[in-house]
Amino acid sequence: MVDDSFNKCFTSTRPEPWNWNIYLFPIWVVGVLVRYFILFPVRLTLLMIAFNALILMFLVIDITLPRGRQKMAIQRKLVQWMSCAWVAAWHGVIRYHGPKPTPGPNRIWVSNHTSMIDYVVLCSYSPFAVIMQLHHGWIAFLQKRILSSLGCLWFNRTEVNDRAVVAARMREHVNKPDAIPLLIFPEGTCVNNEYTVMFKRGAFDIGATVCPVAIKYNKIFVDAFWNSRRESFGKHLFRLLTSWALVCDIYFLEPQAQREGESPQEFAGRVQAMIAKYANLRIVPWDGYLKYYNLGEKNPGLIEKRRRVLADVLRGYLGKQAQQPAAAAAAAAAAAAASGSGEKAAKGEQGGASEGKKEL
Amino acid sequence: MGQAASGGLTQGDVDEVIAASKGVFNQAEIEALYKRFRALDRGRKGYISPEEFLSIPELSINPLAQRLVRAAECPNFRDFVRLVAPFSPRASRDDRLAFIFSVYDVDGDGYISREDMAMMLKQLAGSSLSEEDTHAIISRVLAQVGAAAATSTSTSTAAPLERLDLPAFKRALAGADLSNMVVEVNVDL
Repeated sequence: MVDDSFNKCFTSTRPEPWNWNIYLFPIWVVGVLVRYFILFPVRLTLLMIAFNALILMFLVIDITLPRGRQKMAIQRKLVQWMSCAWVAAWHGVIRYHGPKPTPGPNRIWVSNHTSMIDYVVLCSYSPFAVIMQLHHGWIAFLQKRILSSLGCLWFNRTEVNDRAVVAARMREHVNKPDAIPLLIFPEGTCVNNEYTVMFKRGAFDIGATVCPVAIKYNKIFVDAFWNSRRESFGKHLFRLLTSWALVCDIYFLEPQAQREGESPQEFAGRVQAMIAKYANLRIVPWDGYLKYYNLGEKNPGLIEKRRRVLADVLRGYLGKQAQQPAAAAAAAAAAAAASGSGEKAAKGEQGGASEGKKEL
Repeated sequence: MGQAASGGLTQGDVDEVIAASKGVFNQAEIEALYKRFRALDRGRKGYISPEEFLSIPELSINPLAQRLVRAAECPNFRDFVRLVAPFSPRASRDDRLAFIFSVYDVDGDGYISREDMAMMLKQLAGSSLSEEDTHAIISRVLAQVGAAAATSTSTSTAAPLERLDLPAFKRALAGADLSNMVVEVNVDL
């Protein structure tokens, strides 16, 4: 109750107030005025012009040209330009390290996830197809009309059966010879760029070579973490458009293949360690989807395991001679249960965490 | 944005909460607990609902999770601090024992009766402990506490004890080790 390692992954860092004295405060006010009333309208208009023009071109090409390689190539270029328009609107200062991704047979790209803009930032450099959660509203329009041309796959994270379908389509995409690189976010949810939650093994299970990408945002001007529980995507974009700049480092790492005798989960863990090293993230063994459901309800087995241990302790009390005051044995076990997991400081979570990891 | 983290908390609130929790937390810890409270209270209602408590993964797999959450009774911030106060390193042994007593006393009548103990054993051990073992444990516990009480008050006849009140509970746990019942509040500087 006091602290736990899971919720830490989704807290935004508190910005240090630096505008507290008489010299800095007026400068800060001027900065706010510039950002909100000068930069923002300028950026928004330029963005709208560029973006709408490109979408128009895209739809025109979609309708007029026949299906074929040339059409796909043009559409990819257009999507890349659209992403560039967005990155320019955010004043993105993005450094790319490592070799640029080239499409190849049986390759899949994985990355850590901080916000939906991860995809835009990557796409402005080199086009990717991606597996995304299908959203609502204007984003859905973008997703269905435009991103589908890149071969993006849609899924619904609450649909249990989707997993097998998605796995099959991943395999199919990866096996196509001229397929555009497919990007997967194995965490499954946005994390605050200080931690990384458990990588799901779906992308590591299809027998492809995995090319890790590490994305690290510099929080100096804006915190790029999209806390979907606290703000809508529109508000998140607004925050980005009214900040001075978006600074980011992207590392394209060496492709990894699954080793002999390595399970998909271990493979995922190894790639996660690589990404965490470059992006300076702490690894936390929880499943990101715990944001959406209650662990105890979904996995009653975890609770039953603990109950069995306690039952053994209690039965032992019955079996052996009572050497200590009776209630002490039972109450001590209960105090351990009550204090042991419910009220925990950050340092004490190893036992529960390893159980959670094993079960998931 | 910097003010928003401790937004809504006045010095008067802090003083009141420190008084309500008998001074086991200092100002920095109260502020840290307030941040935690705000993080847990996702609906910004001013209290934490059971669902919000159970969204903490480690808490939700605790066998006593449901009992703890019901005992907490939708706490507002002051109740929340009073709830975790027995776990402060500065809390007294009496306070810790009183907390355990309140968890065990399921119906809240001030006594731990056979029914209370049966419910608690069901939560703790579930179906792994048979009915007869459960009854045997309860009877033995009551018998031993009764015997200890009888010898301490040096009456020759030991009246069979059917339930424990707080003083009897405290006496019974006089030798128990509660050192793992301590939690440090993470105060980030």
